[in-house]
Amino acid sequence: MEAPKTIEHQIGEVHDSLRFGLDAKRGNIIGSHPLESVLLSVERNQDDMKRITLANVYGAAFPVQMDMERQILSRFQRPPGLMPSSMLGMEALTGTLEDFGFEDYLNDPRESETFCPVDMHSGMEVRLGMSKGPACKSFM
Amino acid sequence: MANSCVDFPAKGGFSFDLCKRNAMLSDKGLKLPPFRKTGTTIVGLVFQDGVILGADTRATEGPIVCDKNCEKIHYMAPNIYCCGAGTAADTEAVTDMVSSQLQLHRYHTGRESRVVTALTLLKKHLFNYQGYVSAALVLGGVDCTGPHLHTIYPHGSTDTLPFATMGSGSLAAMAVFESNYKEGLSRDEGIKLVSEAICSGIFNDLGSGSNVDVCVITKGHKEYLRNHMLPNPRTYVSERGYSFPKKTEVLMTKITPLKEKVEVIEGGDAMEE
Repeated sequence: MEAPKTIEHQIGEVHDSLRFGLDAKRGNIIGSHPLESVLLSVERNQDDMKRITLANVYGAAFPVQMDMERQILSRFQRPPGLMPSSMLGMEALTGTLEDFGFEDYLNDPRESETFCPVDMHSGMEVRLGMSKGPACKSFM
Repeated sequence: MANSCVDFPAKGGFSFDLCKRNAMLSDKGLKLPPFRKTGTTIVGLVFQDGVILGADTRATEGPIVCDKNCEKIHYMAPNIYCCGAGTAADTEAVTDMVSSQLQLHRYHTGRESRVVTALTLLKKHLFNYQGYVSAALVLGGVDCTGPHLHTIYPHGSTDTLPFATMGSGSLAAMAVFESNYKEGLSRDEGIKLVSEAICSGIFNDLGSGSNVDVCVITKGHKEYLRNHMLPNPRTYVSERGYSFPKKTEVLMTKITPLKEKVEVIEGGDAMEE
């Protein structure tokens, strides 16, 4: 029996980057689990719905003003590094301060064993627009 | 609306990191361990003054009984309790989380929690997770609008019923309820009927067993009857006794109560009517 000439290349659900190379294919776009995309879209849909409701009740200016407040409050953060901001003002504005979900106590990224804090200098440079892109962890 | 370019701190929650690896491994022929069969009998009914919840106390792990006296009636709020069937960890995590949400809500509003609030929080959460959080619940409580009993299915659909059963023993228990339930039961009749229904589950369903827990909730009062009935007592104890290795010694016990450090003003500025 003749051996196949080519090695079968899995498209999509490949996790082994060393053997199959970096791939930006279907698997990376649609997510690895059906629940993943649902959970991502739920929050966005709820925000959109809330915005439409507020616009209908209080006029179009109201959600725009809230978006501005949201932007202002989202910029109040600690310098990048060990302690990420708890986003108190932001949570007070969106109402998540009175909420309590899985994200608050399960799989906290700060308690992760692979937690790798961003270097403060490169993080600040990115935040102030002095250098581009995300503060890359691989160069530290 | 232009989005700001500020990065938010990463959030926790479900992690899907290993899904790709698991899919790859099962493609290559690895047999992943199957889901374990769950079994429970939980019931609830509305009687003349409030709500009675009941549960068996067997926890199974496939064919193995792993706990003979577990608690399946979970605290939600002082006036609301919830029975859980399905994956034990999921029911506990969901009920604990929602009870925390209700506590925060009570601090915020300064009022007693309503059963519909708990119901909405539970069904919203379960629907968001599309049935992957496998918790089948019987929620009961008494609030300012009277007694309420709801069942919640793992995918987030709910029922409002005068008497409800859940779990693998639900058929056996429902048979007892359907033949004997009537409106305006007294407290003792209600407890008796709930115990009968749970016993029917215990003796006719393999996934349920051991003892009967009952929780009676009335207006402004609740009574948790842990091990209300013990129909399956242990029959054999070795005459020679059992010896266990010596436990790790406790060198020091110091408990710092949180209440002294954090002052919680309950109902300080309640919401205006």
